[in-house]
Amino acid sequence: MGKSNFIGFACAYTPLALVHAAGFTPCRVLPNVDCPDQAAQLLHDNLCPHVKRILDRAMSGNLPELEGMIFMNSCDAMRRLYDAWQIVRPDVKTIFVDLPVTASESAVAFFRDELQRVAGILETWGGTAITREKVADSIQQYNQLAESFGRLRHTVQNGGVANGPVMLQEACNMASCEVPEKAVGYLETLLAKPGIQPQEDGVPIYLFGNILPEPEAFSLFEACGARVIGEDLCTGSRLFKKIAGDTSGGTCGDILLDLAEGILSGQPCARTFDGSQPGRLARDIVAEARSRNVRGVIGYTVKFCDPYIARLPGIREALKKEGIPFLFLEGDCTMRSVEQQKTRIEAFIEMLR
Amino acid sequence: MMMEYFANLEAGLQAAINNGNASPRKLYALEIARLGKRLYSGQDKVAWCGITAPFDLLNAMGVTSCFVEFIGAMLASTGTVGTFLEETDHIGYSSDACSYHRAVSGAAIKGLMPEPALLIGTTNPCSGGLAVLENLADQFHKKLFVLHIPQDESRENVAYLAGQMRDMAGFVSDLTGVSLDPERLKDVIGHTNEARAIMAEVYDLAKTAPSPLTNKELSNFGIVMALFLGTEASVTIAEAYRDEFSRRITENSVDAKNEKFRLLWIQNRIQFKNPIEKLLSDSYQATIVIDELNDITWEPIDTDNIFEGLARRSISIPFNGTIQNRVKHLQKLALEYNVDGAINPCNWGCRQGTGARGLIDEGLRAVGVPVLNLEVDCIDSRKFTEGQFRTRIEAFVEMMDSKKA
Ligand code: SF4
Ligand code: SF4
Repeated sequence: MGKSNFIGFACAYTPLALVHAAGFTPCRVLPNVDCPDQAAQLLHDNLCPHVKRILDRAMSGNLPELEGMIFMNSCDAMRRLYDAWQIVRPDVKTIFVDLPVTASESAVAFFRDELQRVAGILETWGGTAITREKVADSIQQYNQLAESFGRLRHTVQNGGVANGPVMLQEACNMASCEVPEKAVGYLETLLAKPGIQPQEDGVPIYLFGNILPEPEAFSLFEACGARVIGEDLCTGSRLFKKIAGDTSGGTCGDILLDLAEGILSGQPCARTFDGSQPGRLARDIVAEARSRNVRGVIGYTVKFCDPYIARLPGIREALKKEGIPFLFLEGDCTMRSVEQQKTRIEAFIEMLR
Repeated sequence: MMMEYFANLEAGLQAAINNGNASPRKLYALEIARLGKRLYSGQDKVAWCGITAPFDLLNAMGVTSCFVEFIGAMLASTGTVGTFLEETDHIGYSSDACSYHRAVSGAAIKGLMPEPALLIGTTNPCSGGLAVLENLADQFHKKLFVLHIPQDESRENVAYLAGQMRDMAGFVSDLTGVSLDPERLKDVIGHTNEARAIMAEVYDLAKTAPSPLTNKELSNFGIVMALFLGTEASVTIAEAYRDEFSRRITENSVDAKNEKFRLLWIQNRIQFKNPIEKLLSDSYQATIVIDELNDITWEPIDTDNIFEGLARRSISIPFNGTIQNRVKHLQKLALEYNVDGAINPCNWGCRQGTGARGLIDEGLRAVGVPVLNLEVDCIDSRKFTEGQFRTRIEAFVEMMDSKKA
């Protein structure tokens, strides 16, 4: 093993189980860390603040010590982040993983081969062979983590935990930089804490979008009178998802294929879709909002995110057709940008009361 | 509106050509008009596509196909794009997005995009383009096939994309009822290879000093010619350019005094009427001798392995892969064409292209080529401030001049 045990990542599609199976700790490089604004030297102002702030961190040396960094080919901005990273941090080794946009059979097979390539590189970095059993074991641990998060989320979203949404996001941020076995232990202690009488006074809201790791943002929503009872964010529920398939550690089956399929067919963000069901993201959001019986939907995305920019009109339209009130917020990965929209959030919640 | 526009364009160009007033650019524009007419005729089976779709394969299957950004460019060139962009403002399509895509979306809202039979999305060059195709598929209730263009040409990647293209042919066949005739495909690819060879000659001739071309003649050429590949027209157009440039060189008809500076144009041209190209030639004797996309980056397609050849071609577009690839390609062009400077229009909203502005800058500077980064929206003429551009260009030319001295 090299100088540290951390492998950095920046996208919810990263194959965390593979990193873990190689003996590393996946560590999400989040954008919400204060650093001098330098990324513009290499990246245009019109790139999303998610990637620019990660580059700011890399340029300022404001990162944990990393053995390497994994970049997923999730969008144009992420590709450019990978390019710029080569220049500003040549000391940190990188892997660039191509990521299909659909979960077709050939796309899954392609992604499986990408995972095999990644495994080979991680093996040379870590000096440890990645066996089928290790991958299966890691998948099971991440599945366990997803399950624990599921239970915690359920309790929090029902209002049964004091300061629940903030604590949940803190737990999510912690788990994104920790091995799953430790993260599960931590979540279980949270789950074991005595609950509070479920709070029913907030206005039930469904929240979707991409990068919102600031726990304070969730307390702001609460302070504005919202109760987030369902969420679909890259830095939230999409990060730890259950991988199906035979992960028992036996010798049959192709574990990498299961992992590839599990990653590609999980709840998609706007960059992944099914060509035979165009516009599905909007319908999914409506369905989630309906099934949870929320009174409104809040969308939160960082600026300049093309995958979401293009889908928002369709989402807006679908929610309007269903008579579900919608508030769209745009931010720049700073709490300030969320706080600036406090009046809008308050007005929206007031309207829903 | 669009049908009328393309029909008038075709008639006007045809009349000029019949009157002995032909030029390579007119032949090229005539083919654009014909494609536009077919797209809007209501008769053809139309496919809206991403930029790296295999248009010759679609031509071989009798599908009139076009990348959607073409419509954005057309609306800009006709000066009508503002109305369509405003439409997208009304539905909350952020003006931070690429205006090519907003214009197309506006056109679709206004009912100005012909209904396609099918759609083919490509993951390259940009996330925004693929998203627009998904939106169009949703709006028209049509099926979308997505080609995932891998990042490099490793053998597995070529086989993977070739396999997807075979599946794509099956998808097209299912939706149009026309199956792929292998003999017809061979003929089509024969034309593709013929046009490719002649286009390579055209680009080679452009390297001559002084260059035989004017600033407008090859604008958008490489990217639009991809739409005509596989047709006889593509060969005719390429021949016309080759013959005209050869003639100018052999007859020594280009005045060297008019070429004080040789320029490389990065990515796409500005699509609405603007004075930049004329200003460069008339006021500063600066010739755009090469555009980034006016290059042949692929080998002739082996007619025994057509899908593999088509896959290699789609992967080879310089926008694909890491920026190092793109910079290497730009450096190669800069050296081969012996340019004094490069202009990067930095289309607002283009994450894949202008996102890397600083990296491109560094790469070209490393081979001694300064870059003028213009902050411009290549589609939205309403944001164009001529005075500012004149000042920036003047300063850039002065800098190139002092370098030469
Ligand atoms: S926020 Fe959007 S643009 Fe930024 S990295 Fe994520 S998907 Fe890409
Ligand atoms: S300018 Fe950029 S974002 Fe726009 S269509 Fe071209 S490659 Fe895509």
